[in-house]
Amino acid sequence: MQLNITTDKKYIISGIIILVFIVIIVKLFYIQIVDSRYKFSANNNVLRYITQYPARGLIYDRNGELLVANQVVYDLMIVKNQVKPFDTLEFSSMLGLTVEQVKDAFEQVRKQKGYSPRKSVVLLKQISDSSYARLQEVLYKYQGFEVLPRTVRTYPRRIAGHLFGYVGEVDESVVKEQPYYQQGDYIGINGIEKYYENQLRGVKGVNIFMVDVHNRIKGPYEEGRFDSIAKVGKNLISTIDADLQEYGEKLMINKIGSVVAIEPKTGEVLAMISSPTYNPELLVGRNRTDNFRILQNDSLKPIFNRSIMALYPPGSTFKVVNALIGLQENVLAPSTRYSCYGRYTVGRGVGCHNHPSPLDLEHSIAASCNTYYCHVFRNIIDKREFSSIEDGFNNWKQHVESFGYGNKLGIDLPNELKGIVPSVNFYNKYFRKGGWSSLTIISLSIGQGELGTTPLQMANLVSAIANKGYYYTPHIVKDIEGNDEIDHKYYEKHVTSVDSSYYKYIINGMDLAVNAPAGSGSTARIAAIPDILVCGKTGTSQNPHGEDHSVFFAFAPKDDPKIAIAVYVENAGFGATWAAPIASLMIEKYLKDSISRPYLEEYLLNANLLDRRAKRK
Amino acid sequence: MSTLFGRYFKGDRVIWTVVIILSAMSLLAVYSSTGSLAYRFHGGSTTYFLIKQLIFLGLGLSIVFITHLISYKVYYPLSTILLGISVPLLLITLVFGATLNQASRWLEVPGLGITFQTSDVAKLALIMYVSKILSQKQKDIKDLRQGFVPLVIPIGLICMLILPANFSTAALLGLACWIMMFVGRVNLKYLLGFTGLGVLLLGAFIVIALQFENVGRVHTWMNRIENFASGDNGEGNYQVEQSKIAIATGGIIGKGPGRSTQRNFLPHPYSDFIFAIIVEEYGLLGGTIILALYLILLFRSALIVKNAKRTFPAFLAFGLALLMALQALVNMMVAVNLIPVTGQPLPLVSMGGTSLFFSSAAFGIILSISRTQNKTELFDGEEPVEDNN
Repeated sequence: MQLNITTDKKYIISGIIILVFIVIIVKLFYIQIVDSRYKFSANNNVLRYITQYPARGLIYDRNGELLVANQVVYDLMIVKNQVKPFDTLEFSSMLGLTVEQVKDAFEQVRKQKGYSPRKSVVLLKQISDSSYARLQEVLYKYQGFEVLPRTVRTYPRRIAGHLFGYVGEVDESVVKEQPYYQQGDYIGINGIEKYYENQLRGVKGVNIFMVDVHNRIKGPYEEGRFDSIAKVGKNLISTIDADLQEYGEKLMINKIGSVVAIEPKTGEVLAMISSPTYNPELLVGRNRTDNFRILQNDSLKPIFNRSIMALYPPGSTFKVVNALIGLQENVLAPSTRYSCYGRYTVGRGVGCHNHPSPLDLEHSIAASCNTYYCHVFRNIIDKREFSSIEDGFNNWKQHVESFGYGNKLGIDLPNELKGIVPSVNFYNKYFRKGGWSSLTIISLSIGQGELGTTPLQMANLVSAIANKGYYYTPHIVKDIEGNDEIDHKYYEKHVTSVDSSYYKYIINGMDLAVNAPAGSGSTARIAAIPDILVCGKTGTSQNPHGEDHSVFFAFAPKDDPKIAIAVYVENAGFGATWAAPIASLMIEKYLKDSISRPYLEEYLLNANLLDRRAKRK
Repeated sequence: MSTLFGRYFKGDRVIWTVVIILSAMSLLAVYSSTGSLAYRFHGGSTTYFLIKQLIFLGLGLSIVFITHLISYKVYYPLSTILLGISVPLLLITLVFGATLNQASRWLEVPGLGITFQTSDVAKLALIMYVSKILSQKQKDIKDLRQGFVPLVIPIGLICMLILPANFSTAALLGLACWIMMFVGRVNLKYLLGFTGLGVLLLGAFIVIALQFENVGRVHTWMNRIENFASGDNGEGNYQVEQSKIAIATGGIIGKGPGRSTQRNFLPHPYSDFIFAIIVEEYGLLGGTIILALYLILLFRSALIVKNAKRTFPAFLAFGLALLMALQALVNMMVAVNLIPVTGQPLPLVSMGGTSLFFSSAAFGIILSISRTQNKTELFDGEEPVEDNN
């Protein structure tokens, strides 16, 4: 060889070139075998998937009345490439819009992510029935436009907005996480609509069409062999009694607070009112976002579901819990009497009001004596068998929690709060270890201090009392169409840590509170209903926001409880003044379906308690 | 092999086979992938492109045939002339060139209405010229002024003239020349220094180009590189996405001839992205075969170099084969998204008139050299180089 191309160099160069070739082959292999992304894209190039949207399931009340229904609206779609010049003036006037608004819509479409002039995209969402009727007749004149029917919600009774929640378009984050959803799909955003989304939404269907390069449909793909039919969503039967719910919402007009009524034997929620409420129709259709913003900015927070998301101190209603624990712990007997001279005098003391003295257990409930419960509470915590206050307190806490306080009950609604029952750690941090005693936390004896409960938890408590020691987890849906049963947890009996034999004393006390003759010191005589034995307990809970909250809970009838109810009216004053009559009317409405005391009803309907808020500030 | 074949088709038979297989592949792939063009410009008459490509391939093969009969010795003096012509041609193109796809690379032959890429002429000319100088200066090749400078000046000049309109061709040609010099014993120190200078100049060019972001190709380059680097799904990456789809759906054995669907979505499926269409229709198998064909070409050329008694034909054959192989590599690397999008055709396979002719000429020259080698070479005035290894 004459050239002195050294063999080394040759190897280097051929080595490099062969390497590059190998890299190419490996990359080919990678794209083909390892990476599956591009195969799907390939189908998207020739196939067009047209989604068939199923109608959402309907929601009925417990008596079969339709509460949430569907109505058809129309999305106006365009394929930009197929649009020919048209009479914009006529077109806009048919839609009830100005020419500028239509032009604006076109502009918006063009700016959309992933916009293609060959794809069918939404120009205007949810055009009204009447616009559609006008448009339909002349749509043939406008090439490239088509109308896609969608369903939105409608509410025949316009009640219970908080319970149903609402439906809206999915977020991008949901689309990313759940492959079922695509941009533009509807999803339940709150309430039952969210909790039962999977049942209500049904199953989308799809029609697959072959398209050409310009995205024009050439016909069904494989004669529709791979098409699927949309499955309509399942209907739900809720536990709500529509009449009771509506009546409750009416009574709570111009008041802030919440009413929760439960059927004790089943845990079914009969009514759940959060006031102020809102018309659910506001959160439907094109105006939803605007209306939502208005509601959200309202200082009274109408969107906030107070029944499960507001934490209130239980106030005097909590005395029944301490009484039950005292009985169970043997530090209290039904015959135990304590004197009260208007004040519990140990330590900083706790004030009381004027009532006969001394009182036994039943009468202490009827008269709601603070002093009595200071004694009871301290005896529970400082019981001799516990070596430390911490053990005593933990024992008390366990009892309290067995009534469903301090934990989420597990209702079938999103965003339920668990409430607050303080822990040993909390007090050890707040004071210091060993720096607190039963006297320090004496507020707990009358349901003040570091306690927070939702109105739902209070209704559940009264339900447990009515049942003499057990409750079923409250729930709002009793039947799902096509399913034999609802979630199993709603059939499980939760037994409290207090023996059922002790409940009769409490129930008698609550009976006395409502039905004792005048002059006996009973606090809730206003709640009495002719012919129905109502058992109830008032509460007046101090709070930092203004006047005291007015609290009342009750169940009826005494020997066969059919309804348990908790009422909370914010900043309204004494429990007996506002909360008790509301509960009483609700009970009567539910059990008798008529009102025997129109003057009481009148008094409540005319009351406006909104301005009492923050008076004390 | 029949003597008949041997009588007319002289030179390396393997290379001949490669040429013929590539041409056949070209006919199939181009015919398949011009569907959308046919609909756009010729009322759906796909035969138009079939006939057109047939004619082109026929002409191309004729060029191979004719050039392979011409003695390579012609190119020794011709190279200087060609190079001399190339420089003004490139300059004219830069200034007045017809713009195709926003790149002014094309020049119209006055009166004939034929356009051609002047860089194609320059590529051939430069490879010839570098071969000539390398063989001429073998004795002083290690010397800076005697050996290095006469090589670097024409290489640098031509590459810089091509660069503004066609970065990838310039880079490709520069790389081929670099490897030729490396093989041709040019002092490695100078080579590396030259490379460094090249990089520096390139950097300067980029800085200057950035000042004219909206002028000519600069914007396209920036987009392509940004897209490639970020893996973004931008407009520019559409080509790459579609190319990958083509490759992915091809599978191991492909969809079969004429069954590509991606040809309707890929821009330039008949030239820049023809490799993707080939893989879609003929699978990993077909793709590998194409790759192998270019490899075989390169190694047959290396064999020519090995057996060469003269340096000029050895360098020339090696340089041309290298250029073809590199170009093929770049085309394929774009199709599989290993490098940013750039418009290098697949030699002999892509549709495209004049570049096909120049590739044909290159193949013809390589065959001519191997033909001469098959005979016992006579001393032809060129100094044989002593083997001092």
